[in-house]
Amino acid sequence: MATETIVYDKIKGVHKIPLEEFYTSGHRTCQGCESATTMRGFIKAAGPRTVVTGSTGCMYVANTSYMTTPWIVPWMHTQLGAGGSSAVGMAAGLRALKRKGKIKDEPINAIAFCGDLGGGDMGIGAISSALQTDYDLLIIMYDNESAANTDIQATGLSTYGAQTTFTPPGSKHRIMQRRWKKNVAAMLAVGHPTCKYIATACATFPHMDYMNKVRKAIAVGGPTFLHTYDPCPKGWDFHPRYSHEIGEMGVRSGLYPLYEIIEGKVVYTYDCREKGRSPVKDFLVAQGRFAHLIQEDFDYIQKRVDEMWEEWAIPGVAPIKGFLQA
Amino acid sequence: MIKRVEINYRGIFQKNLGKKIGSDIVIIASRMGRIGFSNGRYSDSPERNGIPCKYFAFVSHDLSEEELEAECGAKLDIDQADISVVLDDTMVKGVEPWGWHGVRAINEKVQPGGTLLLSTKKTADELLQFIGRKPYQWNIATYEGDPSFGGLWVFRDDLTHERTLGAVAGIDPDIIGIEAVEDYLNYKNPKEPFRAEAARKAYDEVRATKRTVNPGEGIEWTHEIPVLPKWFEFMEGAAVPAVKRHFEMGPKGQSRNETFKRGTTKTQRPVVRFDICTKCTLCWLECPDECFDPTTDGLYDIAFEYCTGCGKCAQICPVQECIVMVDELQFADNSSPWEAYTQNRENYVEWAEKAKSKGRYIHPFVTGTGLESVQGEVVPLGGKRAAQTGKEG
Repeated sequence: MATETIVYDKIKGVHKIPLEEFYTSGHRTCQGCESATTMRGFIKAAGPRTVVTGSTGCMYVANTSYMTTPWIVPWMHTQLGAGGSSAVGMAAGLRALKRKGKIKDEPINAIAFCGDLGGGDMGIGAISSALQTDYDLLIIMYDNESAANTDIQATGLSTYGAQTTFTPPGSKHRIMQRRWKKNVAAMLAVGHPTCKYIATACATFPHMDYMNKVRKAIAVGGPTFLHTYDPCPKGWDFHPRYSHEIGEMGVRSGLYPLYEIIEGKVVYTYDCREKGRSPVKDFLVAQGRFAHLIQEDFDYIQKRVDEMWEEWAIPGVAPIKGFLQA
Repeated sequence: MIKRVEINYRGIFQKNLGKKIGSDIVIIASRMGRIGFSNGRYSDSPERNGIPCKYFAFVSHDLSEEELEAECGAKLDIDQADISVVLDDTMVKGVEPWGWHGVRAINEKVQPGGTLLLSTKKTADELLQFIGRKPYQWNIATYEGDPSFGGLWVFRDDLTHERTLGAVAGIDPDIIGIEAVEDYLNYKNPKEPFRAEAARKAYDEVRATKRTVNPGEGIEWTHEIPVLPKWFEFMEGAAVPAVKRHFEMGPKGQSRNETFKRGTTKTQRPVVRFDICTKCTLCWLECPDECFDPTTDGLYDIAFEYCTGCGKCAQICPVQECIVMVDELQFADNSSPWEAYTQNRENYVEWAEKAKSKGRYIHPFVTGTGLESVQGEVVPLGGKRAAQTGKEG
């Protein structure tokens, strides 16, 4: 398996997860916030010798407004579309300081996070150019499928059919979010062949999968990218106690393919072709943002997901069908 | 003369409800020939699930619309309220929308002779065990109701909206009159007379339950309001100090943000049966608020002042009945449950079972869709999936 080519400090069981927190209690996230778990998870996996930069979004406002900061590691805010550029700046700065002997020459991780709007839509140019550099940095895009900080506006990563502030269902047009979810991780992998590690993850399912992906990304070196699926109780409208379940249902239904692309090789970390897929409808009806959908819509979304796993040349990754046989 | 009503609600869950009540007070007042104005508290934005927030409604008999708006519109918060409506009774333990607000008493804005109006199933005397005392006379009134938690997209239409309008009319007819409330509700929903009836019922109820609270009644409010630094006291580049690194095993062994504890977000809290815990670590691993403290015996203590009561731990726990969510008002303090357990195991288990027996919470997947009764047992609508995986506690 290609995963074994990366030498890294694997977390082999839940009891082996480091106990200390570097993203600690006292932040203003929602009850049951899955993105907070994403923040907590990456810094737990990366350890204390890490600098973090975050672009505007939920995880910036909730975690750094005055008196509400939970970060123990150094943290810096950057502008909405600047996740990639600030990661490059930070990594370049660290390299220069080490070269000049101003700080000790030791591994320091530079991690940038951005939301789905800041990363997948607006900041994708900056991330693209960051992935073409040779600096050691990791960019994490936490994807809660909306601009959740400003009360849930649609982005290019919102699921088809979802109700958002920008896409309210009406009597004439039931579906206003007509865009299909953008496949950011695969798009970046295809466009940046020198990038050694790109992956998708869900913070809590399967357990440790996400933290190990962070460790792999850091261990492999160079610019790396991670896309996480974060169920958002506020915008997706489900009770906060179910935020793990919703993520798990999304992965099991095949809507959120979990994969790693290690030096061009695709590895599925939850392979729906082997493990089977649960009906997408189960995932959709558990959320208030899909309360307006009817059977026709469920069938359509199911058809697209089936297609993604059965007809795509690389299932869940590349939407190209039978490209050489034609 | 300006009459001020503040509506305290839980962020997102009651956002639509609070806004509806505020705007309907204005519409009803204007149908009575008065001038009204309603807005939300700007600093509550961005709203988070469960965070205490406020809407305001202002009514005047003599001012013009422009004057009323100038008087009330450009303020961050009001100084005094004729009526403070509380849509979720667990907010009596204090409200802290942001760190820099501090934990405020729920009756902070109630003016002399003003009224704290609560939608609750508890009595005023029970609630006064949590409410801060005041140097002057004020009133408290209750009307029966569930917290009525809906979502951002699915509004929970369980008549709390109508009942609250009736209750406000019952407290102060100078704001809105009950006849005007009934008129309006019948006009909006001509085929649904039960809405106006619900308003009338709450109107009668608050007039029966309203009572005066004397100076000194209630508890001493010990939470301090933070003193904010001046602009020249900030570090260079608008930097703020990080939380200091510290970790050891045991209760409160992890360093946490001291300036924002956010425990006032919770409406329910987990009660843990440590004796049947399998030490699987999942509650600790999946807690989005890092509330669980690892201890040397492999159990996890809970720092309740930081717990937001999301219920994820209860949902993820693989052991039936090990973690159960219980109404927050059953608990007087935030003391460590693990310490109580290690001191006397039998007493603790007995206490936990007693706490679980009353005020236990279950929820549907989609907030706002309600519960149903299946074979005599109350289960959440859309809870079938959870039942299949055997995780519903």
